[in-house]
Amino acid sequence: MRPSMILSISFSIRLGFVFLAVLIGLSAGAGPNYAADEKASGDQSRLKIAVFPVFNLSATPAPLKYIRQQMIDILKAEGEILIDDQRLEDAFTKHRIRYIGGLDPSAALAIEQETGADAVFITSLEHYSDVVPPKIALTARLVTTGHRIRILWMAGAGLAGDDSPGLLDLGMIENPDTLMRIAIQRIMTSFAEFRSTGRAPVDAAAPQGKHRPKVIFRSPVMDPAISYAVAVMPFFNLSERKFAGDIMALHFVRQLLANENWRVIEPGVVRQALLKGRVIMRDGISLADAGSISGLLAADLILSGKVMDYQDFQGLAARPKVVFSAEIFEKNSREVVWTAQSHNRGDDGVFFFDWGRVNTAYVMASEMVQLAVEEMLEAE
Amino acid sequence: MVKRFLSGIHRFCILSLVLAPVLLTACGGGNGSNISESYHDPDMDFALLRTIAVMPFENLTTDRLAAARVRNTFMTSLLATGVVYVIPSGEVVRGIKRAGIEAPTIPSADDIAKLAAIIKADAVITGVVNEYGQVRSGTTTANVISVSLQMIEKESRKVVWTASTTKGGISTMDRLFGGGGRPMEDVTDAAINDLINKLFY
Repeated sequence: MRPSMILSISFSIRLGFVFLAVLIGLSAGAGPNYAADEKASGDQSRLKIAVFPVFNLSATPAPLKYIRQQMIDILKAEGEILIDDQRLEDAFTKHRIRYIGGLDPSAALAIEQETGADAVFITSLEHYSDVVPPKIALTARLVTTGHRIRILWMAGAGLAGDDSPGLLDLGMIENPDTLMRIAIQRIMTSFAEFRSTGRAPVDAAAPQGKHRPKVIFRSPVMDPAISYAVAVMPFFNLSERKFAGDIMALHFVRQLLANENWRVIEPGVVRQALLKGRVIMRDGISLADAGSISGLLAADLILSGKVMDYQDFQGLAARPKVVFSAEIFEKNSREVVWTAQSHNRGDDGVFFFDWGRVNTAYVMASEMVQLAVEEMLEAE
Repeated sequence: MVKRFLSGIHRFCILSLVLAPVLLTACGGGNGSNISESYHDPDMDFALLRTIAVMPFENLTTDRLAAARVRNTFMTSLLATGVVYVIPSGEVVRGIKRAGIEAPTIPSADDIAKLAAIIKADAVITGVVNEYGQVRSGTTTANVISVSLQMIEKESRKVVWTASTTKGGISTMDRLFGGGGRPMEDVTDAAINDLINKLFY
């Protein structure tokens, strides 16, 4: 055999090995992506879920453990595969995960690797009052873990004991536990519907027209038909209510998720980008900050705003008040392409027998944001 | 005789009905306060203004957030007209810091020129919130707002537009039936709309 022929055979064998290695590498690389796609696409029948502790945005003492346990009980009854509390606790301790109001990329990877969870169930308590009539507002969402963090489902419920007092106040709910159970049940019904259909259900009640934004503007630069990635910043809080900026941001995230054409970035990811980019908002977001954030998050649009008032009062005669403004920066034009201003009180347009009265800031803000988003996405 | 007397009473009744609202209005201060003034520089072509920066407003009220609230409403409403582009407040703050403006509510002509160059604004609007909140007269209360604005053009460094407005206050209806007047946000919207109308028309 000639030396040149030996060389040629060994080269072919080496080439074969390299080709095989590339094939193995490709198939290995495709594995996690496929899993992420499966998680995000709606085929989530085998999802393993980690239920995060309830994040308290109410700024008042509240039975957080009880709320979480109620949710876990319902999820178990629905046949969901839940991650053991101890494993989740260990992952939190090992990776020093302290923020439970969202899922950032490092926590998403850590939770997936340590617990094997495919998704996390994040709950935020936005209002809690046990003074008669009691009030509660809760928001929950399901977010995928691993490399591709996506919000799969999000729902909320805001209730007051005097929402439906009925004849001689027979429909009044005075027990906060009863109200809490109703709120949790409402959220879990939405979750069950999502798990069975793969689609997030739309809010049943249509918002009242009086909650439309008072001022709204959309630049021709923004085309709602285009598929955008949108990052919702925490709102600049000028109100007396603690965490009002975070609550308002969650309202926008929830309403924007209803538009399947847009990809809403998980608030935990946005929070980490703000920390990483050391962005400190003084009286709103600057163009330089907007540019760096959109670069870090690969976001086309950045939604930010200001909350002037977000008030929930206690008692029967109390009426909530919400005042906010929001604006959207577009990455390419570096301009504000949408803005809206909205203000309402719980007794706006109420003349007889409290008909049409809104009792919680959560419900009112939710309707205000829903209508603002609807007008934002309206075709020309 | 009796017929003439009855006719006299009849006339008196009609006159009373006509005059009563007029007298009540005169005594009660009318339909709240509606005062407004403005000035446009006759040499200025306002169509050339494309980008406007709104500086933080001076607050002469006891409400700590009055200036921020009024400015925010004004900026949103001005942008919503679609006639000019309003530079976002965060960008204005960045410009103020870069220009080293110590008193952004009362900037000098040099400050404005520096700021306009940094944030690429054609004109800068400054403002003062003189009144914001409840006014009381006897047992009656109502909300009132009083705002003054001025626009300084970048190139000439001259004041090219000024306007002031006062909206809200105690109306005859408030005096007669109470109710506390219109909500502060509605009064603010009315004042801002009035100012924007004065700018463009």
